[in-house]
Amino acid sequence: MSKLERLEPELAQRLIQEREKDWRKALRRDLSVQQRLAIPRHKMPEQPVSQRIKNFLEVNLGYTLELARAEAQRCLDCGQPGCVAGCPVAIDIPTFIKHIEAGELDRALLKIRETNGLPAICGRVCPQEVQCEKNCNLVRAGKEPVAIGHLERFVADYFSRLSDKTSFPATECSAGKKVAVVGSGPAGLTAAADLARLGYHVTVFEALHLPGGVLAYGIPEFRLPRTILNSEINFIKSLGVEIKTNFIVGRTATLEDLKEAGFRAFFLGTGAGLPAFMGVPGENLLGVFSANEYLTRVNLMKSFRFPEYDTPVLAARKVAVIGGGNVAMDAVRTALRLGAREATIYYRRSRAEMPARVEEVKHAEEEGVIFNFLTVPVRFLGDSQGRLRGLLLQKLTLGPPDSSGRPRPVPVPGSEYEVEADLAVVAIGQSPNPLLIKQLPGLKLGRWGNVEVDWENMGTSLPGIFAGGDAVRGGATVILAMGDGRKAARHIDIFLRKC
Amino acid sequence: MNRIVKNQRLVPNLYHLVVEAPEVARSARPGQFVMVIPDEKGERIPLNLADFDKDKGTIELVYLVVGVSTRKLSRLKPGAFLAGVAGPLGHPVEVSGQETVLLVGGCFGPAGLYPVARALKLAGNKVIFLTEAKDRAYVYWEDKIKAVADQYLNLFRRDCFDSGKTLETALNRIKEKNPELSRVLVIGCDYLLHKISSLTAASGIKTGVYLTPIMVDGTGMCGACRVTVSGKTYFACVDGPVFDGHSLDWAEYFARRRAFLPQEQLALSHLENLPVEQKKNE
Repeated sequence: MSKLERLEPELAQRLIQEREKDWRKALRRDLSVQQRLAIPRHKMPEQPVSQRIKNFLEVNLGYTLELARAEAQRCLDCGQPGCVAGCPVAIDIPTFIKHIEAGELDRALLKIRETNGLPAICGRVCPQEVQCEKNCNLVRAGKEPVAIGHLERFVADYFSRLSDKTSFPATECSAGKKVAVVGSGPAGLTAAADLARLGYHVTVFEALHLPGGVLAYGIPEFRLPRTILNSEINFIKSLGVEIKTNFIVGRTATLEDLKEAGFRAFFLGTGAGLPAFMGVPGENLLGVFSANEYLTRVNLMKSFRFPEYDTPVLAARKVAVIGGGNVAMDAVRTALRLGAREATIYYRRSRAEMPARVEEVKHAEEEGVIFNFLTVPVRFLGDSQGRLRGLLLQKLTLGPPDSSGRPRPVPVPGSEYEVEADLAVVAIGQSPNPLLIKQLPGLKLGRWGNVEVDWENMGTSLPGIFAGGDAVRGGATVILAMGDGRKAARHIDIFLRKC
Repeated sequence: MNRIVKNQRLVPNLYHLVVEAPEVARSARPGQFVMVIPDEKGERIPLNLADFDKDKGTIELVYLVVGVSTRKLSRLKPGAFLAGVAGPLGHPVEVSGQETVLLVGGCFGPAGLYPVARALKLAGNKVIFLTEAKDRAYVYWEDKIKAVADQYLNLFRRDCFDSGKTLETALNRIKEKNPELSRVLVIGCDYLLHKISSLTAASGIKTGVYLTPIMVDGTGMCGACRVTVSGKTYFACVDGPVFDGHSLDWAEYFARRRAFLPQEQLALSHLENLPVEQKKNE
């Protein structure tokens, strides 16, 4: 099957039409394939390590216009672009990249925004290496893929904000109908933006005092500066979306209350806000944090600026972070920036199975994070004051694959050993926050307490209630959550047209 | 942003805050709490609901001025705004009816127990209300509480020294007079929660303690407030705030409450512009 055939026929048709336009043909003639193949991938400029481990400013500095146009030239504009099929929201990647090459940055942004409401965020936090860039045809030619993520980020950052309200004309049927979006993370914001552009009155309910969900409380500033997040959120507000913070749906008002207040359909984007603990002795010692708590203190409550901000965080010398995902990388790099002399990742599988983005692992290693694979804590050790003083660890080997398809870690008997630590962060995953979804009678939940949906339309077992993002998937990625929000918005529209 | 209607000193060190929060007031039930953010740079702190008025759209809170957040709160004037109020959170009090319930409140506790007493009384329970205070100058809302209680008693810590009338003798007397007593609920300082729990342990009277651990989000997301009850970990914000005082791991609870003591002192010095005590070089 060709790569284009993996796409929806309508989308494939559009890609072909765009590619056949004269300006694209002209660009392809400017440089030969051989010339393009000869250009090496352009590195992302970064803050030097010695400087960045002392601040919370963004590590990646972004391409300049020159770098971006040079990188865009690497794209062959091939007839069978794999990148689009690798993108969960199917951005027309070749077209936006060729717009960059032509110097038409406004058109590049409009093209991205057709399918992606949060490009500045996706360009920063998407795992491109397993999505678009993995499918880049340059990889098959033995080259590094086009830096699609870096280019997306560049375009989004280049403009303060471009209005594209007109691209989704409001329909008569949708006028006046109210839709409630629960949770202002990537799934909720995307659903809200799309619904607003379809002409609905959208209110987003956020339990915390700031919008953004995991983008606000989870992802650190050195990966996603708050100015970027806020400008994306302001853009969504400019589409007419109302965001109500400090509003805990299920407590401040029930879904029934909201129905009575006139909301006709609901999108649950309540995220994976329930931290998993290991269930080993000593886990409640002072100095043992869930990654959610540690990162919320630092990111949402700005404890890295304590005491200017009131919420404190424990400073520590030796920090142990348990887990191998992006959250674990965020926590361990945060610990370094808060002054830890030694910060170590303990992961129960090997490097190859680590779910973290390649770039996060690279940055962590550059910054001096120690990686300890095939190791798991079996006990947290405390002093007489109830404070953490160390970990009792056990070695593991990899056995046959488990249900996730990854090799199952098997304990090595008698391999226990102690290490010192005055702070530990448990970053082994999180499951959907049960606060709202557990109190909806008839809402079908899956094994992990996740909301079950019909993947065709993101509808739950309750009519008029749709869901997406981590509430459905457990801990997944920003872009998958956005894809869910987008799909749900389309089907909420179909649902509301019927009534 | 929530507008402050009233913020007045009630007794030394305790303040009575009335603030606009119409959506919270509409859903609030006795025994629940809210998260309060004093200002833009403030913490999120849990405070027991002392009352709520659907019609006026206001909620009432009584807080002890102890750290940075409560000091900041105490300085806000009527007409000013809180950065945020979120709630109501936690489980409301269980009301069964036909029960004799003793409510023990110390410090900010009587305020939090006031709506609890009202709900219990309304459902036909017999309500005994014991206020524990340093002396009479620290007693508040006495008439208001008497109106929703069948019996009302004050116990002054000063008397404990003068006449030997201690919590223990007071509890014994209440039990003698009300042998059918089936439940005790306590809001107040750690000492009071623990003391009452240990006094009722022998008789096995069900004793619920309202815990106030450190919280960050208050919605079950972070686990800062985890407590151990009968060997199992719970999140006080979503599983509580009331827990069985006979099965709680008190040592762990006390330790976790003090987790940030040095930072809290530093924050206070910063707020009051006091010189920060420099640590001696290692």
